[in-house]
Amino acid sequence: MESLKTDAEITWCPGCGNFGIFTAIRNAILILEQKGIKRENIIMTAGIGCHAKIFDYLNLSGIYSLHGREIATASGFKISNPDLKILVFSGDGSGLGEGLAHTLFAAKRNMDITMILHNNGVYALTTGQFSPLTQEGWKGPSTPKGSFEIPFNPISLMIEAGATFIARGFAGDIKHLTDIIVQGVEHEGFSFIEVLQPAVPYHNWAEYRKQVEYLEKEPKTYFEAIRAAKEKHKFTLGTFYRTTKPVYHKELYGDHNPVLKKLSREKRLEIIKGILKIK
Amino acid sequence: MDSDIFTFLVGGKAGEGVKKAGSVAAHIFSRIGRHVFQMDDYMSLIRGGHNFSVISTAPRWISSHYMKSNLVINFDKRSCETHKNDIAENGLIVFNSDAQELDNGIGIPLTSEAEKYPMKKLMFGVGAVAILAATIGFEKEDMNQIIKDEYPRGIEDNMTFANKIYDIAYLDCGKKFILEKGDKKRPIITGNEAISLGAIAGGLNVYYGYPMTPASSILHFLAQQAENFGLAVVHAESEIAVINMAIGSTFTGARAMVGTSGGGFALMTEGFSLAGITEAPILVILSQRPGPATGVPTYTEQADLAFALTAGHGDFLRIVASPTTVREAYYLTAEMLDLVWKFQTPGILLTEKHLSESSMTVEIELEKSKSSEPKLYKDGDYKRYLDTDDGISPMLFPPSKKVIKWNSYEHDEFGITTENAEKISFMHDKRNKKIKTLIEYLKGQNTVKIIRGENPSNIFTYGSTYMSVLEALRYGSLNPTTVAPIYLSPLPTWELEEFKNQDNIVIEQSSTSQFTTLLKEKAGLKVKNTIKQYDGRPFDPIELSKKIKEVL
Repeated sequence: MESLKTDAEITWCPGCGNFGIFTAIRNAILILEQKGIKRENIIMTAGIGCHAKIFDYLNLSGIYSLHGREIATASGFKISNPDLKILVFSGDGSGLGEGLAHTLFAAKRNMDITMILHNNGVYALTTGQFSPLTQEGWKGPSTPKGSFEIPFNPISLMIEAGATFIARGFAGDIKHLTDIIVQGVEHEGFSFIEVLQPAVPYHNWAEYRKQVEYLEKEPKTYFEAIRAAKEKHKFTLGTFYRTTKPVYHKELYGDHNPVLKKLSREKRLEIIKGILKIK
Repeated sequence: MDSDIFTFLVGGKAGEGVKKAGSVAAHIFSRIGRHVFQMDDYMSLIRGGHNFSVISTAPRWISSHYMKSNLVINFDKRSCETHKNDIAENGLIVFNSDAQELDNGIGIPLTSEAEKYPMKKLMFGVGAVAILAATIGFEKEDMNQIIKDEYPRGIEDNMTFANKIYDIAYLDCGKKFILEKGDKKRPIITGNEAISLGAIAGGLNVYYGYPMTPASSILHFLAQQAENFGLAVVHAESEIAVINMAIGSTFTGARAMVGTSGGGFALMTEGFSLAGITEAPILVILSQRPGPATGVPTYTEQADLAFALTAGHGDFLRIVASPTTVREAYYLTAEMLDLVWKFQTPGILLTEKHLSESSMTVEIELEKSKSSEPKLYKDGDYKRYLDTDDGISPMLFPPSKKVIKWNSYEHDEFGITTENAEKISFMHDKRNKKIKTLIEYLKGQNTVKIIRGENPSNIFTYGSTYMSVLEALRYGSLNPTTVAPIYLSPLPTWELEEFKNQDNIVIEQSSTSQFTTLLKEKAGLKVKNTIKQYDGRPFDPIELSKKIKEVL
């Protein structure tokens, strides 16, 4: 079996939370393989930012996309070949800033892909500006007096938008994170997994570990889920919402597969003749 | 006026069935074996305003509508006002006598007759068809058949109404125009239908779009046909999503196409550049309307040429081609889909509202559309960006045990991000090899349309303006050499060499003469005059022939 690591030099800061996510995803892929999902059927994409460097390190096929466009890229994979399992690595800046519309629409459509949102609460790679998930008061290079925008609540936002599997993990709890990634990939529909991930130049692990807690039980209904998302603080880990809804590609074309079941040229021309009413 | 040409114009408010009446009229002409060109002029609104449809027909190939019409039917006062100068010599005006009085035409009480039925004003279009049928001596039975086929809602009412109007019109102008029959019945399609069918013939699997006139009807047509051809047709949240989804789909081996107009394409340029570096075979249909910005949504222009040629940041190969006729739009779309896959680079089929939304009778040899396999991986290690002599790396699609990495960062042959100086220039060189390979390939293809003439001057044009030019030359019995490059990037300069220092006239629809600039800069062409029109309307052949005569 080939390694899940490429030979690329890893350029995350020593101690970065991304290492924990990298380990969890590799563990999750091995478990998914044991469960019968073929590795070559797992395709990935990533935005641009520290999170996205995982594209170079993880030995899977896919596209290193643009900042904010990873969800659109992933949707394109799924729509043309629904047999593929799609992993989207995203960041709080990429997926909820530049690419917010794509994320909301993928949730609205219940696009059958798994989005792993590396939440480090900051634009780390571009030197520490505030992100859509940064707490008010952040003094970054673009907000020298402190940011004053109220951050999104990603969990309630995704429930509202229509995601059907919503969970939060922590880069410091690899076992829990592995488990929710496996569940997210197995779930049919849009899976949103927020991962709390300290960026060491800006945060310290101890602060995270001190605050992290777990949901006592998984909410059973939509309103229970909304309530948990609103009432629990943003270091609460667990699965917040899980439901079943028709997935986009099946609503679009049923059991068809546009790349595997291509219509022959002869057949196409024959139908065109019919449309043009030519003999 | 060319005596074999007959022009029919119908005008009224949006919602009165003007456009439909135009297309039914076109079918009547095609049924008697004649060639047809239909141009619809409509405003960006849902109800009211003024819309008109103008159809010119001849027993020979006709490539433009004429504004001087033999039969004008006006549903309202505004239409009468607007078209009072559009009457040909011996032309006939028919007007709605319930809406106004007019001395020089035939009044028909369209409103009071239509009020007898529940559909009321919606029936005006049927009335126009009946008037046309009476004036050209089309048998009532044939008319009824056409109404049955084309107006499936309320067939009985429509037929009763049509027969009444036919009888009224027949008294005053029955058989006023006798149209010579043509040689055979041909299908009538719009440019956008030709583009859609060409893409399907070229192996299209997925289409992504966001509504924007004049490209929307590609999205509508393909959505309608999706099940028939096994396509996925998606209306996404924005043009940004559209192009990125399309790139994702090409990664899986799907032939993907997107369509938009200038404003939407502006949003796509980020993804267009991504297609450049990832070497994703994407075809963009860019149907121009007057800009800048929102511009004039439902009219025509050729002012996005310079934008298309340089769209997307960074150095990469962009293929840009523009179809000159509706028929060619079918072949060229298939050919462009084939080319972007052969060369693994993004391409643009540049067209205009005038081609996209005008209809023509066409004769298409469906089998002549191009469709071939791209260069595919055979064996050994797989490197997505393998350096090769022609710059084209073999493709492989998932699922595959070999890892396939496409990368928006500059990358090595495997597809891993690099910042290494040597590797950066190496990969630029690898991609740039494709430019030479493409030019060598195109030298063996049909890249320019040249019609040899006797006049010492040459006329250069491109896109749908080519159709206007040909009709103007025929109308004015002018005979210069006409040159229309189909490919605009790379511009086939090897074909244009001989004209360089001759007497050249350019005809285009851009206020700053973008096509003229391209010809001067890339082909070193001397240009004596540029005839341009930039009021959103296509050239009228009569007006254009006068302008050509002045400069020849």
